[in-house]
Amino acid sequence: MRLSFSEVSKTFLSFRGPVRAVHGVDLAVEEGELFVLLGPSGCGKSTVLNLAAGLVKPTSGEIRFGERVVASRDRKVFVPPKERNVAMVFQSYALYPHLTVFENIAFPLRVGGEEKGEIQRAVSQAGRTLGIGDILHARPAELSGGQRQRVAIARAIVRKPALFLLDEPLSNLDAGLRASTRGELKRLQRELGITTLYVTHDQTEAMTLGDRIALLRDGRVVQEGSPEDLYGRPGTPFVASFIGQVPMNLVNASVLEEGGDLYLRLGEARLLLPSGPAARVRIINSTEILFGIRPEHIGVARGIAGSPVAGTVTALENLGREVLLQVRVDGLPLSVLTNDKSIREGEAVALDIPLEAAHFYEKGVG
Amino acid sequence: MSEERQVRTLHLAGALGMTIFSLGPILYMALTAASRRPDFLSHAAGFEFTVAHFDSVLRTASLHFPEYLRNSIVVSGASAALCVSIASPAAYAVTRLSLPGRVFFLLSVLAVSMFPPVSMVGYLFQVMGKLGWINTYQALVLPYTAWILPLSLWILTSYFAQVPADLDRAALIDGCSRLTILRKVIFPVAAPGIFSTALLAFIIAFNELLFAMMLSTDHAARTVPVGIALFEGLHGEIPWGVVMAASILTTIPVILLTLVFQRRIIQGLTRGAVKG
Amino acid sequence: MGALSGNLSPRGPAVAEELTRGEFARGYAFLLPLAVFVAVFIIVPVIGTFAGSLMQDVTFLPKRFAGAENYRAMLSDPGFWQALRFTCLFTLVSVPLELFLGLLFALLLARPSPARGLLRACVLIPWAIPAAVSGRLFQLIYNYHYGLANYLMGTFGLTDLPVSWLGTPAGAFVSLVAADAWKTTPFVAIILLAGLAGISQDLYLQAEIDRAGFVCRFTRVTLPLLSPVLVVALLFRTIDALRVFDLVFVLTGGGPGGSTTSLSLYGYNYFLGGDFGYGSAVSVVLFLIAFGLSVLYVRVGKFGRELA
Repeated sequence: MRLSFSEVSKTFLSFRGPVRAVHGVDLAVEEGELFVLLGPSGCGKSTVLNLAAGLVKPTSGEIRFGERVVASRDRKVFVPPKERNVAMVFQSYALYPHLTVFENIAFPLRVGGEEKGEIQRAVSQAGRTLGIGDILHARPAELSGGQRQRVAIARAIVRKPALFLLDEPLSNLDAGLRASTRGELKRLQRELGITTLYVTHDQTEAMTLGDRIALLRDGRVVQEGSPEDLYGRPGTPFVASFIGQVPMNLVNASVLEEGGDLYLRLGEARLLLPSGPAARVRIINSTEILFGIRPEHIGVARGIAGSPVAGTVTALENLGREVLLQVRVDGLPLSVLTNDKSIREGEAVALDIPLEAAHFYEKGVG
Repeated sequence: MSEERQVRTLHLAGALGMTIFSLGPILYMALTAASRRPDFLSHAAGFEFTVAHFDSVLRTASLHFPEYLRNSIVVSGASAALCVSIASPAAYAVTRLSLPGRVFFLLSVLAVSMFPPVSMVGYLFQVMGKLGWINTYQALVLPYTAWILPLSLWILTSYFAQVPADLDRAALIDGCSRLTILRKVIFPVAAPGIFSTALLAFIIAFNELLFAMMLSTDHAARTVPVGIALFEGLHGEIPWGVVMAASILTTIPVILLTLVFQRRIIQGLTRGAVKG
Repeated sequence: MGALSGNLSPRGPAVAEELTRGEFARGYAFLLPLAVFVAVFIIVPVIGTFAGSLMQDVTFLPKRFAGAENYRAMLSDPGFWQALRFTCLFTLVSVPLELFLGLLFALLLARPSPARGLLRACVLIPWAIPAAVSGRLFQLIYNYHYGLANYLMGTFGLTDLPVSWLGTPAGAFVSLVAADAWKTTPFVAIILLAGLAGISQDLYLQAEIDRAGFVCRFTRVTLPLLSPVLVVALLFRTIDALRVFDLVFVLTGGGPGGSTTSLSLYGYNYFLGGDFGYGSAVSVVLFLIAFGLSVLYVRVGKFGRELA
């Protein structure tokens, strides 16, 4: 089932005045896709999820499930949650504390009036799929966080919903559990093929799980696309710094024109811009720009012989497989990720900055 | 003595004093009920144990004590049940449905609980009289329920507010109507709170005097507090032994309830008055 | 005050979601039974009493509109003034006493101890028993010939002769205050106990580190932080004291000579005597006093919250 948002806005009324949570959002989640809503807290991603669920009504715009309009103020249509055939996994899991695991999972089926035999079958199957068949008789209070989460997911899939909504399902788990559960969730979603909307603030989750991602900020979609799109072609500095294990370096730089060629002035260094990057810089049409390069793309070597960009290592962080260096180049701070473990703090190093992988932004925008 | 020791001794003395203050009179009541003579403290004969008074209370038909007890239990039980049933949906609406004017509603209800009963009872008597309801169960249950509803609403609101809203949302998505959510999710989860509320309602209804005195005339609907208040001796002299025996019999169930459910009662009272 | 001081919405955003017309209706339907009950059995009777106070309504006499007649009669009725005086005096004496004792009890009960549950239950019992029963009990205690009070007075050598508690206005007053204190101190104690529990232990530890002694900790930490709860207890108790009925009816019957008749009892006696007009007028006066105080309370509460 295809989920679509057309120009959807949501304004809440609070004691302090109207709060605009979502602003003109356009989204389309294709059938069977795992679509991630990513963003910092307060960006409106949970509101979008609640809009899709029917827990909240849009102030303007239209929400459709396939061809069917489920919410539209103009058309005076609002389909309540129970008629939308959606399922949701809450950050708090929202398990019914007074019911056993079996009854929790069976709850939507019982409310829907399914017959006993069918309920038994569906719950057992969901239990098997999530690997919780052995705790069906326990109460939520007796379970660990990971187990509770599985019960929440089981309850969600037992009805074979048309839309699967997840609100930061991994944020309450221990770090180690998070990684393994991520993989399982992806596998499960692929297997079941249910259209899924997934909310998180963790860019790693988004990048590993999502078929497509929408990055939100202050109620607006800043950029939408595949993980590669957002990683390789971030449209604004905000996207550039949000995406990536270690934030992208964004430093002030200037552009010089000399003899028909464009040069990038980075600190004291002058770098010739090849045609590709040059074309991108010309679009900005300004001499002062914001220069972006990911720490993992910068090459580093000890010594400064013959390199235009050189600096001193001011700090060093051992991340296990890699080392994160803070290098100061003519007063500019740059982060560099490298496998070279021999570099020491205080050393002089030379940096190799591949301009083909660099990003250029207008200063003072986004 | 160190300050810590001083405080501890003070505390012990205080606790002892508090207990004597609270239970002393009850003990006196029990002794009088079991003593042949009410003046056992001063009379030369001293204390002579007897169960004659208890026997008298329970067996003397003209005293109607068992009927009074029955009436009290029925009226209080019905009022408590009715109270909880009516206050629960209201508490749910107040805590979960963002209805305009709900704060005003709560405050008005609070204000209503401050009305003096005497300012209603005259009119109620006249109206009940016209309806022919004087001396019936409904004459007491209905005003009692209305009277205890404000407190019930406040206590239940406090308890319901502690049930996470996510449970409601999950239930909505699972296909429940609001009423179903109240029945299948809120009730079970807030059951201890509901029980506390019902318990308090029962105790308050059980102890009420003014309405009961005006709206009932004989043992058909009269409650125990009225019976004890209107006790008359044969010769104008109050039969203390019998009165105290009746009092003890009345208070034993309440005392037991209090001892067993002390925490629930305190929780309920606290939430009715203070931020829980 | 509980739900009012905090957020009414359970762990959700403090924002309002507009409802569809259907949800609106259903929401108000949930409130309706309660509203109807309170309206029919409380508000209507109060209005009826107000209206009744303007009538001459005595059994066997024709009922007619009388305007302010009842109120005028009240102004020159010494019985009314006596009842008003007694009610106010009773309130002024018993409330502070109960607050003081209640605070004492709360402090004692707040300390963790193995018998804490049992202690609380014991202290709660006087509150839980009917006022009629405690009225009778104290009627016995203050009995001239063989009551516990005179026995104790004699044993501890406080007086030579037995005191006529219930036979004199002063004695009757004292016995009422004592009985009321016995019965309602638990309620005050419970409320204050909850307030005490709300004061973080860290504050006391900090005060100890700052070398504040026991008394100092009490006056600088406990009392200020307890004051909002004290105000709540004060208001509840004041209004309850003003409308006292059960205890007075049973313990003293309003005597001797009407000296301990509360306003509630005064009005009730007229109802009993068949004069619903005058009784209603007395009730109205009491209502206005209580209502005025509760409005004051809400104002003070709001003001307090704005300050906070």
